[in-house]
Amino acid sequence: MNKQDLKVISFLAYKNIAKSKSTFIVIIAVMAMSFLSITFFAAIIDGLGYEFEEGMIEGLTGHLMIEPTKDDLYITNSDTLVKNIKRIPGVVGVAPRLESSVIATYKNTEMGIPVFFIDADEELKVSNFHENILLGEYLSSKDTNELLIGADLIESYAKEDDTQKRLDVNVGDTLLLSFSNGEVRDYKVKGIFKTGSKFSDDKILINTNEYSKIFGKDDIASKILIRLPDRGSEGYYTQKIIDLGVSEQINPWQTKMGAVKQFVGSLQITNKITGFIGLLTAFATIYIIIFINVTNKRKQIGILKAVGIKKEIILGSYVLQSLIYGVVGVVLGNIVMQGLLALLTMHPLSMPIGDVVPILTFDRLITTSATLIFASIIAGFFPSKKAADDNILEAIFGG
Amino acid sequence: MAKKIIINTRNIERVYTNGMIKTYALKDISVQINEGEFVAIMGPSGSGKSTLLHQLGLLDIPTKGEITIDGEDVVHLSDSERTRFRLEKLGYVFQSYNLIPELTALENVYITPMARGQNSEEYKKNATDILDKVGLGDRIHHYPSELSGGQQQRVSIARALVNKPKILFADEPTANLDSDSSEDTVRLFRQLNKEIGQTIVMVTHELEEGKKADRIIWVKDGLLDKNKK
Repeated sequence: MNKQDLKVISFLAYKNIAKSKSTFIVIIAVMAMSFLSITFFAAIIDGLGYEFEEGMIEGLTGHLMIEPTKDDLYITNSDTLVKNIKRIPGVVGVAPRLESSVIATYKNTEMGIPVFFIDADEELKVSNFHENILLGEYLSSKDTNELLIGADLIESYAKEDDTQKRLDVNVGDTLLLSFSNGEVRDYKVKGIFKTGSKFSDDKILINTNEYSKIFGKDDIASKILIRLPDRGSEGYYTQKIIDLGVSEQINPWQTKMGAVKQFVGSLQITNKITGFIGLLTAFATIYIIIFINVTNKRKQIGILKAVGIKKEIILGSYVLQSLIYGVVGVVLGNIVMQGLLALLTMHPLSMPIGDVVPILTFDRLITTSATLIFASIIAGFFPSKKAADDNILEAIFGG
Repeated sequence: MAKKIIINTRNIERVYTNGMIKTYALKDISVQINEGEFVAIMGPSGSGKSTLLHQLGLLDIPTKGEITIDGEDVVHLSDSERTRFRLEKLGYVFQSYNLIPELTALENVYITPMARGQNSEEYKKNATDILDKVGLGDRIHHYPSELSGGQQQRVSIARALVNKPKILFADEPTANLDSDSSEDTVRLFRQLNKEIGQTIVMVTHELEEGKKADRIIWVKDGLLDKNKK
């Protein structure tokens, strides 16, 4: 194959495409739709999984979570520890929490509810409760006898067919809380939050100062949540915290996923299976379309051979056409997909777990693009090879 | 001066086998065609005249026998050597023109010199000149679908001649044309033969056209019909 052959290959491929615009448009449209059908559903599933994980990170775990050693109930000297961790360059936020539970009574309804005693100011940098206030206001660190309550605990936010016991409270109502030490206090509902994560929205949040008043203990924490600049840097910051001489357990968010991990794992397996089937289907569709296109050109292939055009040139021109179909189709699919992603980033899909933004991973983008381009090349190669190998007279006159 | 034999066949045979059944399309054909000769191959339908042309034009391979063209044994050439030989030394005009529909008249003509490695300026000039010569100078940018049957056949003749082939093969070139276009086509062949000494081998079923050739080779039932002269 020399330079001149490549020139003839390019010329024939260009003329075939330029003169058959409708065929070209149909093929690249199918390619682009195949690309979208594979990547869009997968991107939604990936976005859903990511949203579940973010729900856990933003509500319950942070990127890193310091927990007491096995023999202790609490982290002691938590104030100093929080201050020291905040000094580590790059750490976005550090929030101590105390976990407890209460019996909440309103009107004639009594419910056992988990409670987080939080530092309202520090939580702003770590969790997303303040961004998800449906009614009322977020806590300020000076608030006493006020609380935030998750929407899943409130009757007016329950779905019609949900019969689980809930409280019929609203912002401004007062709940009677009975704590584990026998202390009973009134708390006014300052705000109602709904993060979309069922692991967060069934909690009550109260200022940590109240804990000292109720239980008479301070400078302790059940957990310290640490927010990092991004996912993936957990190992680096764990070492930095260890270097501070921390003896408590330091756990990255991944170790706290539990049921979420199983659920997201199941989604990812489903995603892989549907993605594989989608690729096979797209491969078959593209193969058939290009196969028919090339088979219809059998006579032209015979004529070219008859007048002395090399088999390799004919084959090359059809493979080049198929490559162009593949690349243009995949690029078009990518452009549409990026448009959809941009649109859904501005207007996320509203799902029961919260707003979901589809995520197209680089790996999926490359795998899907490469497979579809490969499919189009294969689809162009075999029928044109067969036609180029055919007897000239059979190709021209049929048979 | 003795004329040079450009095509020499010896006992060629073409058999089509379908299971146990053998059909002889050509049997024991030995012909010689001289350089610069205009030869018509004639015979009834199914006599084997096109089959003979396909063997001589390297579009098919005989089951038996020898074919020498321009001194070269062409039966035993490899597939790629046959392709090269067709490109360098032979030109074809088919009954149904067989132009590439995606290429303009000019492109249909210059595709083979382009494949031979001529530079762009050269092959475009040669193709334009030859199209001009066949009377299509004003139609060079038209696609086959925009040309009449007679015009398409002239493009096909231009494509066959652009590389100055040793031999021009024409397989019933007038079968799809009206009488005026048919006459034009055969006249053009005669003219090319006289003016530039082009060797032409033409299959036809029209005796009037055959009579315009230097010689008629008659074929009947796959054999040379030696009773006809």
